[in-house]
Amino acid sequence: MFSSKIFLESFEPLMWAARYTLLVSGLGIAVGLVIGALICMASMSKSGFLRGFAAVWVSYLRGVPMLVQLLVVYYLLPVIGIDVPAIVAAVGTTAIVASAYISEIWRGAINALPKGQAEAAVAIGMAPGDVWRRVVLPQAVSLSLPALINELILLVKASSLVSVVGIMEITRASQAQAGSTFRPLEVYLAAACVYLAINLCLAALGRYLEHRMAV
Amino acid sequence: MELSIFAHYWPMLLKGFGMTVLCWILGTGFGMALGLIIALIQRYSIAPVRWLVQVYVEIIRGTPFLVQLFLLYYGGPMVGIRLDPLPAGIVGLTIYGSPYFAEIFRSAFRAVPTGQIEAARAIGMSEPTIVQRILLPVGLVSALPALVNFSIILTKETVILSIITVPELLYQTQRMSTETFRYLEANLVLALFFWVFVEIISRIGRRFERRITHYLIERP
Amino acid sequence: MVQASSVEVRNVDKFYGPFQALKNVSLSIPAGKVTCLIGPSGSGKSTLLRCMNFLEEYDRGEIRIDGKLIGYDAPGRKMSARNLRQMRRSIGMVFQQFNLWPHMTAQENVAEGLVRVRGMSKPEAMARAATELGKVGLADKLGNYPSRLSGGQQQRVAIARAVAMEPKLMLFDEPTSALDPELVGEVLNVMKALAAAGMTMVVVTHEMGFAAHVADQVAFLEKGELVAVDSPAGIFHAPKDERIWNFLRTYNERNSF
Repeated sequence: MFSSKIFLESFEPLMWAARYTLLVSGLGIAVGLVIGALICMASMSKSGFLRGFAAVWVSYLRGVPMLVQLLVVYYLLPVIGIDVPAIVAAVGTTAIVASAYISEIWRGAINALPKGQAEAAVAIGMAPGDVWRRVVLPQAVSLSLPALINELILLVKASSLVSVVGIMEITRASQAQAGSTFRPLEVYLAAACVYLAINLCLAALGRYLEHRMAV
Repeated sequence: MELSIFAHYWPMLLKGFGMTVLCWILGTGFGMALGLIIALIQRYSIAPVRWLVQVYVEIIRGTPFLVQLFLLYYGGPMVGIRLDPLPAGIVGLTIYGSPYFAEIFRSAFRAVPTGQIEAARAIGMSEPTIVQRILLPVGLVSALPALVNFSIILTKETVILSIITVPELLYQTQRMSTETFRYLEANLVLALFFWVFVEIISRIGRRFERRITHYLIERP
Repeated sequence: MVQASSVEVRNVDKFYGPFQALKNVSLSIPAGKVTCLIGPSGSGKSTLLRCMNFLEEYDRGEIRIDGKLIGYDAPGRKMSARNLRQMRRSIGMVFQQFNLWPHMTAQENVAEGLVRVRGMSKPEAMARAATELGKVGLADKLGNYPSRLSGGQQQRVAIARAVAMEPKLMLFDEPTSALDPELVGEVLNVMKALAAAGMTMVVVTHEMGFAAHVADQVAFLEKGELVAVDSPAGIFHAPKDERIWNFLRTYNERNSF
């Protein structure tokens, strides 16, 4: 029989664990935004080497399953003499994987801007740096917001994988809970609810931003 | 680096790869079929059914694949669904992929020009015939790039099945590394392997797209 | 001579929400004649045409084809999908955007309805399609996909597709509006041939030349109202209503140098 008591009791530890889910995905996207911007610049640069590097970066990170990448990073760090807690490996992997997708999102946003706008700015004598700062970037950032929110939702879901290296986020916590109560159905349902709640909030935020931008 | 382990373990890895491909093809095939059914329901069914389907779509899209798998594999037996790892993995992939495939079909159907449907109505074609002869063929072609793209994403999701002990490639790799303590080499090679594999199937996918859409290319 | 239908439109109203697209429109379309519907854009002429095969559902009034009500079994009671399909089989329609099916060749486009709706065998339908395409001057384009045909050729395929079903009434919804000017003639010629064969034709058009020379009667609509029905000479040379006169003046100004 379905035990609603166990189902409801599961929420407390899982919501507690949600801190780590949010930490991994939140920090992941924050760092990913920075690396993604760099990769995006590299992919649009004049240097063939930088463009090649960006292409390889994106292709590797999008081609290899995140779980495998996580294991590679997790086992690689000690070998090259970096001794950090698993959480750092988890956030690092998440950020690096995110950077590949984010750089593509930004590239798309920049390419979506009418070319004439930048030309108009150049025509009135703006310096190239100012054209980027004043004309291109503000628009590209707001254009890309919905896609970035979407990426964050993907990361919240993907962060369930860091349970494999022992981070006590929602999924790991629910495994522990299921093990101690012997009620996997109730516990994992509760876990699904917590994820769903987080993601529905993020989706609502995304719709709000999109709506505000459209006006 | 110690790569000689592969000389010894390759038959096991090959079997794992076969399993990966099997899960991928079945998961993609069934997921696409379920997604198509969902999209047709969303287009043709009465409102309450559409809402139910929409709730299913939101739930699946809002939760991680791993949690869905745990629910199915560990929670399933409590409601009488007892599946071995492999069937559980394939059912899991099917369920996980279905709302994404449904969304692809849905927007592809929306992209079929209304006029082409009206032209069929105007000569007296029945709705089922219109679906079969116009909506599906025209829609499928415009859905093709997105379908190929998502199928490739699903390849990568198959590794998650190792966590419920489906003996696919990552599972076999982990077995090899625990027996040899060569964790880094094993995972690194696996990563490279996936990279190449995904590149290859993307290319095949693009070629396939071009062949199917040849008649859309204007050459007056 | 083909077997031709007559159409009787009586007191038809059509609403889009609060907006009334057709206001109490009545119009007789005699068998074997060409009726052109003209008027400014948004006047409701396309809506009226699309009501005649019930692609657009009218809300009040009745449209009868050979005396048979289309769309409804009785006022307010909609016809079954099967009966509607049955009626549509004898009404051909040609659209502004051609609406050929992009995944089928010209010949397959024409054969499709014969197979799926008329139940003809595939080889028989393909042979028939070839004949029909020959009649519109496309005998050498049977195997071409729509994307490889010019707009004028596509529209001629679309006409062949409709004619192949042996309709007794043909509806044309701005058939030349999407065409480059140099391609308009070839489509109008096919339509003239159909008219000469005695087909009942209802044509929404901006081609005043076609209306003046081919039509048996011209109906002028504005803002959902049928302003006048008259012979082409009556409409173009002695318009009785100021609105027609204004419309024609604007038309002439736009089309003269």
